[in-house]
Amino acid sequence: MKKLPFLVIFAMTVLLFGGAQPGYAAVTWQWLLSLKGQTSSGHSMRMPSALYCDQAHERYYVVDTGNNRLLSFNKDGKFIKEFDAGGQLQSPFDMVKDREGHIWLIEKGRNSLTMIDLENKAVENHSLSYHGLTVFPNRLEYKDNIFYVLDKATGQVLKLDQDLKVTGRFASRGAMGFVDFKIRNGLLWALQRDAKAVLSFAMDGKPASSVVLEDVVRFPCSLEVGPSGIFYILDRHEGDVVVFDKKGRFRYRFLTPGQAQGRLYFPIELKFDPWGRLCIVEEGNGRVEVFAR
Amino acid sequence: MLKLIGLPMLLIVVLFFINVATGFAETTCFQCHKRTDFRGKVVHQPVAKGRCSACHSPHVARFKGLLQKSGASLCYGCHKEQAAIFAQGIVHQPVRQGQCLTCHDVHASEAKGLLKGRPAETCFACHKELKAKYKHTHSPYAKGNCLACHQPHQAARVQLLKSEPDSLCVSCHKRDMVEQAHPDYPAEIRNCLSCHNPHGSSRKAMVRDVLHKPFKKGCAECHTQGGTGTETCLRCHEEIEKEVLSIHGHLLYQEGNSCTACHSPHAGDTASLLKGSQKQICRSCHEDSFNRYRDRLYIHPEPFDCKECHAVHGSNHLAMLKDGGNNTCSRCHETQGKFTHPVGEEVVDQRSGQMVTCVSCHHPMGTDFKYNLKLSGEKDLCIQCHQAY
Repeated sequence: MKKLPFLVIFAMTVLLFGGAQPGYAAVTWQWLLSLKGQTSSGHSMRMPSALYCDQAHERYYVVDTGNNRLLSFNKDGKFIKEFDAGGQLQSPFDMVKDREGHIWLIEKGRNSLTMIDLENKAVENHSLSYHGLTVFPNRLEYKDNIFYVLDKATGQVLKLDQDLKVTGRFASRGAMGFVDFKIRNGLLWALQRDAKAVLSFAMDGKPASSVVLEDVVRFPCSLEVGPSGIFYILDRHEGDVVVFDKKGRFRYRFLTPGQAQGRLYFPIELKFDPWGRLCIVEEGNGRVEVFAR
Repeated sequence: MLKLIGLPMLLIVVLFFINVATGFAETTCFQCHKRTDFRGKVVHQPVAKGRCSACHSPHVARFKGLLQKSGASLCYGCHKEQAAIFAQGIVHQPVRQGQCLTCHDVHASEAKGLLKGRPAETCFACHKELKAKYKHTHSPYAKGNCLACHQPHQAARVQLLKSEPDSLCVSCHKRDMVEQAHPDYPAEIRNCLSCHNPHGSSRKAMVRDVLHKPFKKGCAECHTQGGTGTETCLRCHEEIEKEVLSIHGHLLYQEGNSCTACHSPHAGDTASLLKGSQKQICRSCHEDSFNRYRDRLYIHPEPFDCKECHAVHGSNHLAMLKDGGNNTCSRCHETQGKFTHPVGEEVVDQRSGQMVTCVSCHHPMGTDFKYNLKLSGEKDLCIQCHQAY
């Protein structure tokens, strides 16, 4: 009989503290390495804006926007080489590689989706339009031979075929658009800044879900979606990463603002690499910080 | 007999407690402080009841005027509901700073709500940039009835508006009358402030003073079949297109025309056709930045205009600065531009490998450290790089 109170207390303790979902622990992400512009020319990066991960070749590509070049690194963070297309690039902002190995870049300076064929040393600039209006590409993804382009003028994500013809779009119901998107777990996930919400769409453009995040982020600029559906939101002004559960409930935030190693200063993009690391592109510190569990 | 004694006794006891409760005992204060100084059409309740000690300590106090607490915390001791409400939404600056006495008298006043003067007088005491009168003045404005449209303490909307501008307008100007006044308007009439100044203007119907040139020519100049997106504006404003195509172009990630978020396409009060003051416009989206720095111990001197440092259409620099973290500052801070801690291309920030600029150490918007430093300049900031010291 004496055991009964003990059992009740034990059961309550387990229920209260044992029920926390795995993956919500704040301490698990540790700084692993930095991708910096320590090239032969000695140039540091200037306002890098995006990271592309090439899983097949185990390479990172950093879009060094301010220096109009791309830098490649191996998986261990060792610098490999830089590429500036013979000085032709104008404020490159994001990149992907297609199945043929061509590099596709968003060039802000000429408002172009630019194709670079390294083999044939060819560069093609493409101005995009949709329904007669100029598209201002801001973010770019490539999956299953389809380009996904975030248009900064409208905040919608456009779906483009290999001929760059718009075949569909991902848009919110109201006027408010998206500031970032990712394709994860078979869905397209898009972040709304003003509404502080994450919307998901089936790949045919049909809305799948809408999650309003708890109001703890000041200036959300990029998102990632974990395999279990947890949202990672990069807060540009706070210089940290805020984690929410599937229902948008705040779980924890990690990292701190600053210039020292592992700190964030004007971060701009958040991305999981194919090796399960969390990569953060920092405009302010001119580097990509890579964190691992 | 007992009743005869009991009734007066009861009366005495009741009177005693009434006197104590109303602070009659504090008439002592008025032996020195003239009672006439505490009289007016409206008297603050504790004063009316003679309860001076509700706010003052008679012998000794930590605050000026022998007050028990300083600023708004004293007022919120009784006005508890207001304390909670005034912490929400967009809050009027004096309220936020706890300076209730900017607008209110504490003891007595001739105006409702213990205001220092008529509402307009109170408002104009700070809002000196507002004209007292226009050639065509909006009736509530002419009557000094600012509170017809604005909330005095806090609101959910910028400029402390009571509701959305269009809703406010139609609350007086009935929709059928509005439609009659715009007989050829080709679409649903909305966004009144795009053409009208709600205070007044030199034009009839309070149409804003400066008309957009294409608007003068006719609607079809801009309202073409191709729509009225951002590029409609950029077709003429080519110089702005270059800025929009910078790394951080200020396009807004939303349907419609990004330009008209800040500019009126039809009429404005100045040549830039901005929808309000620069600061108001920036604030309408960047409220978080204003809130973040407003209460810092050291903030950039007011009054400042965001446009002084930021390129509002777009920039190739961090934080949309006009000219990077050195040149933007040294345009005003000339001495520091010539003689300072080494900065520039040749000087590397040990922490990040980036060029050292003014903003490596200073946060121009505001910090809690002298000279807007990011950390204490006595040691903490310096040893971030100079670890050997």
